[in-house]
Amino acid sequence: MKSNLTTMQWLLRREVWEHKGMVMWAPAVVALIIVTLVLGGLLMGQNLTVHMDGQAAHLKDHLVEHMLRPGAKQEFARAASEMYVAIGVPLYLELGVLVFFYCLGALYDDRRDRSLLFWKSLPVSDRMTVTSKVAVALLVTPVITMLAATALSLAVILLMCTAAAFQGVHLFGTLLSTGEFYLAPLRMFGLLPVYMLWALPTVGWLLLVSSWARSKVFLWAVGVPLGAGVLVAWTSKIFALEWNIGWFMQHVVARLLTGVAPGSWFMYVRPASLEGKEEGRMGAAELLFDSWASLASPVVWIGAVAGVAMIAGAVWMRRWREEG
Amino acid sequence: MSALITARNLTKRYGKHVALDQASFEVQPGRIVGLIGPNGSGKTTTLKAMLGLTQFEGELSVLGMDPRTHRDELMRDVCFIADVAILPRWMKVKDAVDFVEGVHPRFNRAKAERYLANTKLEPRMKVKAMSKGMIVQLHLALVMAIDARLLVLDEPTLGLDILYRKQFYQHLLEDYFDENRTIIITTHQIEEVENLLTDLLFIKEGKITLAASMEEIGDRYTEVMVEPQFIHAANALAPLTQRSVFGKAVMLFDGASRTQLEKFGEIRTPSVADLFVATMKGTYQ
Repeated sequence: MKSNLTTMQWLLRREVWEHKGMVMWAPAVVALIIVTLVLGGLLMGQNLTVHMDGQAAHLKDHLVEHMLRPGAKQEFARAASEMYVAIGVPLYLELGVLVFFYCLGALYDDRRDRSLLFWKSLPVSDRMTVTSKVAVALLVTPVITMLAATALSLAVILLMCTAAAFQGVHLFGTLLSTGEFYLAPLRMFGLLPVYMLWALPTVGWLLLVSSWARSKVFLWAVGVPLGAGVLVAWTSKIFALEWNIGWFMQHVVARLLTGVAPGSWFMYVRPASLEGKEEGRMGAAELLFDSWASLASPVVWIGAVAGVAMIAGAVWMRRWREEG
Repeated sequence: MSALITARNLTKRYGKHVALDQASFEVQPGRIVGLIGPNGSGKTTTLKAMLGLTQFEGELSVLGMDPRTHRDELMRDVCFIADVAILPRWMKVKDAVDFVEGVHPRFNRAKAERYLANTKLEPRMKVKAMSKGMIVQLHLALVMAIDARLLVLDEPTLGLDILYRKQFYQHLLEDYFDENRTIIITTHQIEEVENLLTDLLFIKEGKITLAASMEEIGDRYTEVMVEPQFIHAANALAPLTQRSVFGKAVMLFDGASRTQLEKFGEIRTPSVADLFVATMKGTYQ
């Protein structure tokens, strides 16, 4: 038999072939749109005016003036280094949506078009197949998104610095000598294990539905948890049981449906860096630290175990579910 | 030689419907077996059971393995084309070849490419842009390049035109089949596979009603165009069926001696189609 590693590598390739649009093009297109918008903004912004102290002034002039003050460059470089990864946020939001719909279709599409029988005619175990789909959802797609987001953030900040350079404000030197500028993207990649663990229950649930539903996967995937929520609420009301409905919605329904959204963990574990403050600033370092701190909560591990169990269920379904 | 496939009392129920009813049969290596039966008789269920795609009661051994528990190992030695046109629509010809080469230990890339070179298929062509006939050509190219011991074909040429159908079976017979391989085919187009088969398995309502090699069929079954004066005598031998052609009675006998039948009129070995119609009498009534 071919080694499991070789087979897995081909299974992953296969997924990327099939979902090239989702895995590769979607992040690239969104990144490109943002870059275009920023570029457009910078070009148009040349002539923006602001009203300040009753006087109309060019925004540009105002900013240039501000940046030329002592210490302003250092301040900018520090803030930018901490924050510039935030430019990738639209891509991370998109990641949640992509992974959600990828999982829904992962074990359903080939049953619908009957190509399942072709895949099943090859010496590949169902466990390997399902594992490859989990890997695409939790590893391949997030990593590609992170790469795209990093490239996007870099592109945008370099564009901004270039624009500033044209106005005689030279930020490159200060920025490039700030250590955080290099660390921030690495810290974002450091979030991957946290994301994987928190996303497991949702990925497991969606794959389970995908391997089981005969049609209307989306309705089943969303309808069953929500329906269960409504049922629990009614039962509680009718029998005056005073159940904590909010808890059920947050810890069951939301875990099954929203875990693939990056940062979903802050719904369960409040970030320490915002503790006791009305509004805090969260740079890449705080984000990484607080995210890893969320793994101290048993909530994540219970969800991960449930996720793995549901993935096992999906494997079993894949093996024995009879079609047509 | 020990059997390649041994089935004992295969039973499969879908709710109240019995798809397989204590079916037992054997398939010897190096044969081309036609599994033939009317719609809903349990053909596909039998194939699914052999391929480990369904649960069932009874005993089944394929290449010495139980398909329920050893499916993954079994698939190294077994290939199947289930129905036509089941290749994923997004796949390109070269993706398909690359992938099968990547995961199948017995795939011979050169062989697949040689076969593809004789078709109009281009490496960058996607399945969704192909005609049904081309999809089957691609699938066959993949399957023929795999050195498997058992090939299972479930209605492989359904919906194809006569050129593709002829070509399909011709390739299978000339370029693929040898004494080390076994092929099981189900099809409704009996006439097309009739000259290909070495063995027949008739299945009716989940039961195997006939299991014989073509030589045995020739020995056992005789069709006679009975001259009018012998009608009574012939009827006394209890023919399976009787139909009339050009005003003459044509009777089909099972196990009657040929020397005796020759006296009634012209004799010949019945076609598989005739035999099928005769044995499946009353299926849809």
